[in-house]
Amino acid sequence: MTRYIATLGRATLDTLSTIGRAGLFLIQSIFCLPSREGFHLWLRQMHFVGVMSVAIVLVSGLFIGMVLALQGFTILVSFGADEALGQMVALSLVRELAPVVAALLFAGRAGSALTAEIGLMKATEQLTSMEMIGVDPLRRIVAPRFWAGFISLPILTVLFGVVGIWGGYLVGVDWLGVYKGSYWSNMQDSVDFVDDVLNGVIKSLVFGLVVTWIAVFQGYDLVPTSEGISRATTRTVVYASLAVLGLDFVLTALMFGDLG
Amino acid sequence: MDDPIMVEVKDLHFSRGNTDIFRGVDLQIPLGKITAIMGPSGTGKTTLLKLIGGQLVPDRGQVLIDGQDVHQLPRRSLFTLRRRMGMLFQSGALFSDLDVFENVAFPLRVHTELPNAMIRDIVLMKLQAVGLRGARHLMPSELSGGMARRVALARAVALDPELVLYDEPFVGQDPISMGVLVQLVKKVNQALGLTAVMVSHDIKETLSIADYVYIIADGRVMAHGTPQTLNVNDDAHVKQFVHGEPDGPVPFHYPAPDFFDDILAPAGQFS
Repeated sequence: MTRYIATLGRATLDTLSTIGRAGLFLIQSIFCLPSREGFHLWLRQMHFVGVMSVAIVLVSGLFIGMVLALQGFTILVSFGADEALGQMVALSLVRELAPVVAALLFAGRAGSALTAEIGLMKATEQLTSMEMIGVDPLRRIVAPRFWAGFISLPILTVLFGVVGIWGGYLVGVDWLGVYKGSYWSNMQDSVDFVDDVLNGVIKSLVFGLVVTWIAVFQGYDLVPTSEGISRATTRTVVYASLAVLGLDFVLTALMFGDLG
Repeated sequence: MDDPIMVEVKDLHFSRGNTDIFRGVDLQIPLGKITAIMGPSGTGKTTLLKLIGGQLVPDRGQVLIDGQDVHQLPRRSLFTLRRRMGMLFQSGALFSDLDVFENVAFPLRVHTELPNAMIRDIVLMKLQAVGLRGARHLMPSELSGGMARRVALARAVALDPELVLYDEPFVGQDPISMGVLVQLVKKVNQALGLTAVMVSHDIKETLSIADYVYIIADGRVMAHGTPQTLNVNDDAHVKQFVHGEPDGPVPFHYPAPDFFDDILAPAGQFS
């Protein structure tokens, strides 16, 4: 019995210590804003983290928009409400699917790569040698990646939403014969910029912060062995995905839910 | 030792898990000299360098560099202090996304405002000294282990630091490169008057250039002195280590149960 209590206590202390280190790490990274000389480092990471994720985000957004239109049409048409297809596709994408799916894709593509890259630098003593040269790896390695992730996810989310709406149009209007005018006008009438679009972007900013934070921290804090890198990469994807889904519920409840 | 002291280690205690690595190490690194730290494998020589560089924090004791307690410095001051130091890592630890030239230029680019033409000249001079000027466009993945360590050596001294920490500088070098590097370390030390701390297993080469030697074993300083005094030291530990004798008080084997019992252990009792 005592052994179980000790194990539980040790696990709790370990978890608290990791959360504490991750918190300090986040604060230190946030205050390392890209400086004038660090601008090119940030730009390079924007390319690696953001631009290189565009293809997967566009393709996924297109297919999700197409599937939404297909599924939505079969349900709406039975109520004679197929003209509301544009509204359904746009609201689903802007409020939920674009921020959440883009963040999940981002965690899988960019998050895992960030963890592996920083982890390998740690395993090959590159971070330590940088410290010994008198350069803070938090400023040089972590901060540009952190800010690149935080800024690029909202942009990717907007791209996902736009392409998704276009995919919905392709299936709904061009293939299934929904009237073009009603597809766009219903969407225009029902989608509010502040309540829907802005809230979606706020969600993606939160997801960008959390996913990138988890990814860079897991890379920086891992055990520097091949097994350690593999575990940390897996942890990044699992923790980031769960965090996105959990936070999405909380944010949705705060933004759209009438819990009172 | 009457020379002024650059690095002073006082009553250093350090452990990993339940294993004590250091149990009260005291040493003094004189200014402008080459001090070698030697000892059997696994005694924590690299760990000692990392403690001096402030990468690890001791359980007890102090490391003073030029009078400053390394482990009490705020993060920013520690990084400022490190600009006066260079460290050669056992693995080389070159930045894998930069080529040889940019690796050596890195400290110059981040810590100086020198124009590109001057940085180029300095980098080529450093690479020429380690014999790799012609390899300047290669990436670290294209270098052999010995070449990578030579590039790392050029990078460690790129800023002409006051203190250089060498971790096994001669490992993996062919006899020609080894001879050149031994002379290079000595010449750099003499010409620039820098202080060097060198961890090495290459007894002959190290003793030929070191001004002072510390031998560490069992978490403590076992012996220290000039190479000449250690060569004639009668202590069984020192004699065995300095002369590389297989028999003596320093065991070759990691502590283990009896070999015979281990081999004949019945199934189910394997550990």
